[in-house]
Amino acid sequence: MSIIQLAAKRLVNNVGEVIVGKKETIELVLVALLCEGHILIEDVPGIGKTMLAKAIARSLDCSFKRIQSTPDLLPSDITGIHFYNQKTSEFEFRPGPIMANIVLVDEINRATPRTQSSLLECMQERQVTVDLETMPLPRPFLVIATQNPVELEGTFPLPEAQLDRFLLRIGLGYPTKDEEGTILSRFQRSNPLDSLTSVLKTDELLKIQELSGQMYVAESVNNYVTAITRASRSHEDIKLGASPRASLGLYHASQALAAIRGRNYVIPDDVKHLAVPALAHRLIVKTEARLRGRSAESILSKIVSTVPVPVEDQS
Amino acid sequence: MKLDWKRGILYLAVMGMEACWLYVLIALLNNKAAGDHLSIAGILALYPASLFFNRLLGRLRWPRACLLGVSWLGWVIGMLLIVKVQLYADIPLSESAWLLSIPQSIVHVIYSLKPEFLILLSTGIIWWLGQRLASRDVSFPMMLRKFQFGLIMLVLIFFAGSRINAVPDNQVPAALIFFLFALFGISVAHAFENTRFSGHNRWPWPGLLFISISLILLMGFLITLMVTPELLQLLWTPFKWAWGLICGLILKVIQFLAGLFPQSEPGKLPPVLSMPPINPEQGKPLAIPKWLRSSLLFTIGVFCIGMALLALWRITSDIFYWLRHKLADMADAEIEPMPGAFKTDFFRLLKYLFFRLLKLRFFFRLRNKEGAVSPEVVSIRKIYRQLLHWAAEHGCPRHISQTPYEYCRTLESLLPDATIDLNFITQQYVMARYGVLLPTGDTLNNLSRSWHRIKQTRLKRASAEQSSGKEES
Repeated sequence: MSIIQLAAKRLVNNVGEVIVGKKETIELVLVALLCEGHILIEDVPGIGKTMLAKAIARSLDCSFKRIQSTPDLLPSDITGIHFYNQKTSEFEFRPGPIMANIVLVDEINRATPRTQSSLLECMQERQVTVDLETMPLPRPFLVIATQNPVELEGTFPLPEAQLDRFLLRIGLGYPTKDEEGTILSRFQRSNPLDSLTSVLKTDELLKIQELSGQMYVAESVNNYVTAITRASRSHEDIKLGASPRASLGLYHASQALAAIRGRNYVIPDDVKHLAVPALAHRLIVKTEARLRGRSAESILSKIVSTVPVPVEDQS
Repeated sequence: MKLDWKRGILYLAVMGMEACWLYVLIALLNNKAAGDHLSIAGILALYPASLFFNRLLGRLRWPRACLLGVSWLGWVIGMLLIVKVQLYADIPLSESAWLLSIPQSIVHVIYSLKPEFLILLSTGIIWWLGQRLASRDVSFPMMLRKFQFGLIMLVLIFFAGSRINAVPDNQVPAALIFFLFALFGISVAHAFENTRFSGHNRWPWPGLLFISISLILLMGFLITLMVTPELLQLLWTPFKWAWGLICGLILKVIQFLAGLFPQSEPGKLPPVLSMPPINPEQGKPLAIPKWLRSSLLFTIGVFCIGMALLALWRITSDIFYWLRHKLADMADAEIEPMPGAFKTDFFRLLKYLFFRLLKLRFFFRLRNKEGAVSPEVVSIRKIYRQLLHWAAEHGCPRHISQTPYEYCRTLESLLPDATIDLNFITQQYVMARYGVLLPTGDTLNNLSRSWHRIKQTRLKRASAEQSSGKEES
């Protein structure tokens, strides 16, 4: 078993102490973590979005900050400010919550577009600029944002540029009957999150991130990735297809998934598995298609089911 | 005693040659009929048995019909023994099921080639060849004829194998052994009959034999080094281009001539007639039944192949007859001795070939530097291709968007008995196709075995059902 697979197993088991029966979702979070990508968790209230983000943060031996997005949240509340210290008679920089390894941006769509935009530079370039001074963000850096897709009143939908910066958009979904029973019994006396310990150190995480980028991708698989993203651009129901950043994201995410599953090479199954979480949130569906009840996920699934997989010719 | 020893060598050479092409032929059919399950060595062992048995019979002073009857009785016993040992080793001898499988295989030969029929056919041919050899003395012309026939058979089998994508594993060693036996047998037969190409008799025949075999093997080795698929492709490309050009020109001329004729004015179309309703129950009165069509196709195929074989045989016989006449005419010719000339020419030729070879290798190495795939990966991909083809033929083709593992799950649901083998083949294919590690020799052997087991799944299941049905009854 490889180092990455062992680390992944430890982390998945640890988070699994709190989040019951969502191993695939936890695995996807780990994929984003290995690629240094950001995650948008989108689901209805009470599913465990914030709990998942917290459990991930607790499982890593990294600094963790939480930003509760509200309409009156200002960019400086995120990035930090220069304040005048009367004792020293100097301006000092007070870093904002963005200066952490893991940043949970809860209910991100409740923040105003101005505040949301302050995250753009941080997420893409991993640096923050305050009063003409640019400071690098600590490594590793991961933004886990949550949003509620059903409550739209008093919210500001994320712009495309913002969405494109998230590597994956994932949902948790309702638990099954058995899982719900397990949740009740597990949370009966105390919250298991309180007793959760870190299982992955920062330097270990940085090392496996570096290793993950070295996974081999055959030329045929590379072409398969581009075929999927290109097909999204020419689909009749899609107004705006996946960007080259999306291709790159899918490529790196596939490498990470291959590493987690104990392989040192990427296979088309990895790409297929990640196509919807990595690409769906970046597509803009045409209005007429949306009115016909077609979502980005369903269109993308259809695209994936038509793009030929690089396998031997059977004729 | 010396004579018997010499005759033994000649018999051995003839048997060796015939065994080689028979081996390749049976291996080809074995691959198709029994998934390489049959032991070819076991079947070929009948050849010496037939020779000795028929030679022993030949010493008896019985009527010819009686001798023939006894001889073919020997074949029946040998054939049944092979069927029992190779296919039905687990079934008791007293049960008649394995005996009934032979006539069943003959009845079903139009639809599929069964291993029982393959044994029946191959042992029949082998026994007949042994019987024929036992009744004759081996001579130089006979050795030549055997060589001609064997060579044509080998070429035809290789051609057929490449067409049906079932090339036997040991075809190259078998061909090399065939040539060795042929060279050995022809040289020995020629030396014994004391007929030489020149009037000089300075070199003893073992020396000539050794030199000629060495030279031919060396030439064969050089040719195999030089003639690569890339070279053949390179030679073929101009012909292909020229053919395309000629066809294009002909087409243009036809189009020009057609353009000279005035275009007819489109007339008024006749009213559309309604189609009479089709009654599926009624059927087609003039339709040829499927069984008759299969039989006719089989007969026509056999006839065409037979005619082609006959033509080839006739042409090669004429060529060799002409060569023999030419050589016979040269028996009294005097050859001017030129000491050292042969050696000089020979070394010059070798030097020329060597440098040409170096140039060619350098050229193709440059061309194939990128995109070269190791032979191990090629074999795995070939096996997977065969699996895809096989599954598609059995009604389960892979959808273009299915990954190997997804397709494996589909196949597993249809072939639950072969789950382990399907998984193994898929896993190895995925590693070879998308990964970087090369498979080991053991893996390739296991892969080959897995593939053969998958091919036999249906056969095994059918036989298992048959035997369980018998137990119940």
